[in-house]
Amino acid sequence: MNKLVKLFITSISAITLALVSFTSSFAKVEGDYIVLGSAISLTGKYSSNGVHTQNGYNMAVDRINKMGGVEVQGKKYKFEIIYYDDESNPKRAAQLAERLIKQDGVHYMLGPYSSGLTKAIAPVTEKYKIPMVEANGASRSLFTKGYKYLFAVLSPANQYLEVAIDLAVEKNGGKGVRIAQAFEQDAFSQDVRLGILDAAKRTGSEIIIDDKLPKELNDMAATLAKVKATKPDVLVVSGHTKGALTAIRQISEMKVDVPMLAMTHCDAAKLSKQHGKKSEYALCASQWHKNLSYKDKFFGSGKKYDKDFKKEFGYAPPYQSAESSAALLVFKDAFERANSFDRDAVRDALVDTEMQTFYGNIKFGPGGQNVAKPMILFQVRCKGDECENKVVAPTKWASDKFYHPIPKWSERS
Amino acid sequence: MNKVKQKDLILYSGLIILGLAAPYLFSAFKVQLTYLCVLIVLAMTWNLQGGEMGYNTFGNILFYGLGMYLTASVQVGMFFPLAEWTESGGEKTFVHTTAQYFQGIGVGLLVSAIIPAIVAGAIGYAILGLRGHYFAICTLGLGIAAGEIAGGIEIIGAGQGFTTPPFPAEIVDTEARGKFFYFLSFALLIGTFVFVKYIYGSRFKLILNAIRDNEDKAEAMGIQTMKYKITGWMCSAFFCGLAGGIMGGLIGYIDSTDVAFDGREMGVFMVLMAILGGKGTLWGPVIGATLFHFFKEGLWTLILGWQYVALGVLIVVIVIYFPEGLMGWLREKYPERFGEVIDEKDRKAQVELK
Repeated sequence: MNKLVKLFITSISAITLALVSFTSSFAKVEGDYIVLGSAISLTGKYSSNGVHTQNGYNMAVDRINKMGGVEVQGKKYKFEIIYYDDESNPKRAAQLAERLIKQDGVHYMLGPYSSGLTKAIAPVTEKYKIPMVEANGASRSLFTKGYKYLFAVLSPANQYLEVAIDLAVEKNGGKGVRIAQAFEQDAFSQDVRLGILDAAKRTGSEIIIDDKLPKELNDMAATLAKVKATKPDVLVVSGHTKGALTAIRQISEMKVDVPMLAMTHCDAAKLSKQHGKKSEYALCASQWHKNLSYKDKFFGSGKKYDKDFKKEFGYAPPYQSAESSAALLVFKDAFERANSFDRDAVRDALVDTEMQTFYGNIKFGPGGQNVAKPMILFQVRCKGDECENKVVAPTKWASDKFYHPIPKWSERS
Repeated sequence: MNKVKQKDLILYSGLIILGLAAPYLFSAFKVQLTYLCVLIVLAMTWNLQGGEMGYNTFGNILFYGLGMYLTASVQVGMFFPLAEWTESGGEKTFVHTTAQYFQGIGVGLLVSAIIPAIVAGAIGYAILGLRGHYFAICTLGLGIAAGEIAGGIEIIGAGQGFTTPPFPAEIVDTEARGKFFYFLSFALLIGTFVFVKYIYGSRFKLILNAIRDNEDKAEAMGIQTMKYKITGWMCSAFFCGLAGGIMGGLIGYIDSTDVAFDGREMGVFMVLMAILGGKGTLWGPVIGATLFHFFKEGLWTLILGWQYVALGVLIVVIVIYFPEGLMGWLREKYPERFGEVIDEKDRKAQVELK
């Protein structure tokens, strides 16, 4: 038996040695390439949004490389990304971040998908002083930790649906409304909830239902039954893609009448396509919409981005893809301004970022969050069987009138 | 442990030296090595129930998760108000001094060993009367329930998760954190191994085996099976809790269902590793966990997106071709190396009879 054990140990050590000599770290900049690293959810519960994120990154990498790449000290470099699959699991994400930095020698990181995973990765990048530009971690608590190397191109999660409550109050003649809410038990949705709590306090609204939804979200009938019985003015639901799909499916099945339905992740869930008319009148928070008038020289306008993205990947880009593409633009800009590959120089350049992209203005606040871009709300509106997302708030961007209240199911054809 | 053979001595000292030198030799792999130590501990402790006692538990993840939350909570709670630490997803920032950090994690680990053991005793008293699939299903429920419950408790961060205290910033060396957690987990591994080896030389193991082979007969022999079953589970819980505590500190962020009560991954892995190596043997879980970890780290990134399919194939292969695990397979092939004597005459006689 001991012979076997010894044999086993020798072989294991041999493999380990081989591994060590094999992965003697790539460089941060390899030849003409600037290597970025990212752990992305390609499997697991965030897989659909993970793929949106990855597509956004890839799209920007292709575009920037095609249009001349990044110029640092007179030399043109191209972007390259090393991806790992974090399986939608924070534990795995933290481990992979460590691996990207220590074994692959990555010196610049792109964010993962979701707040929870970003929360797990940020301490790692911070420890090794690796600048990370992330596009999908919106949790407010990410920006109060004093992280110096974390930069987010998106607005914090608590701002997602605050505007919706304001809208409801406005429609109610300035009086507080009765809110029913259901949130997935995860870092992002719980932060959206905090935003609603703040808004409710501010407007004197009352929260009559405050439910938690499980992570693998397939059923929220219990909440909807309560909504049916208590008739709130607003129903707020947040639970990533699955939350949006489940909510619409069950609201239409159970014929729940509620004057206003506010959600997140409608476009990532391709709600208007998947559920068509059933999803009409749903109000959705979004970081970006193609109709906004922002521009940059790589992607042109939002509409052009939408068109190019559709051509490349075969579906309309949700904001998760747009913001991910923007993260690459931020990196390019920072490298060129730093004119160096020194991590701290790049980090300092990131701090001073002030730019417009097709996705919106980007300027980082002291905590690393993007303070230059407001959230928008769109409403799903249908003409016949064709449904579209129309921007209704804030007024500056609104292309359509906000339709309120939602007609009862009995009156809908 | 009463008589350590010289050959064993060489093997063990070699392994310990390798373990101590590993973080310096493979500096970039410290985190993976830490995972390896923890995985081996989980596989070895699972083996006490699943392998030796014949009780296939999926509930050990409960103690692992409990240990994780307990260590972090104690580490924070000793110096700062825990409720404020976790409020609103951990918006407020408190900073541990170096001394506070290590005191906290020390006391936290102590608690994370003792409380899971007590919980195991209490739960064991209630459910170890179940046998076979009933026990397995019941423990499966334990892990899932614990995850959902933890996801609703505000003081430990609920659905927003719990950010564990960051490693003290006063220690400038970026490698220090990795080394600290590696040596902690390596110490745990040695402790667990010594303990399990001790059990393997004791009457206690024979009793566990008796329970596995025929519980009714064991009882008829005058063994108070319940007492031993509970004690066995408490021992496992003790080490699982410690493993969880170390992992919580290493990962830095505790999520109720994905990190702490992670039955879908860790909970299944520990069973898989023990079976892969060969359950009911001392070295089986160690070898199984090591192979599994290498397989996972080496191959998974090559098959992006398909790793769980590969894992499924691996499970099928293990179950079909190595039902007794690698150790069992080797034992069948080379029985003489395991000290089993085969009567050649008898074997030949049997062949001729056929």
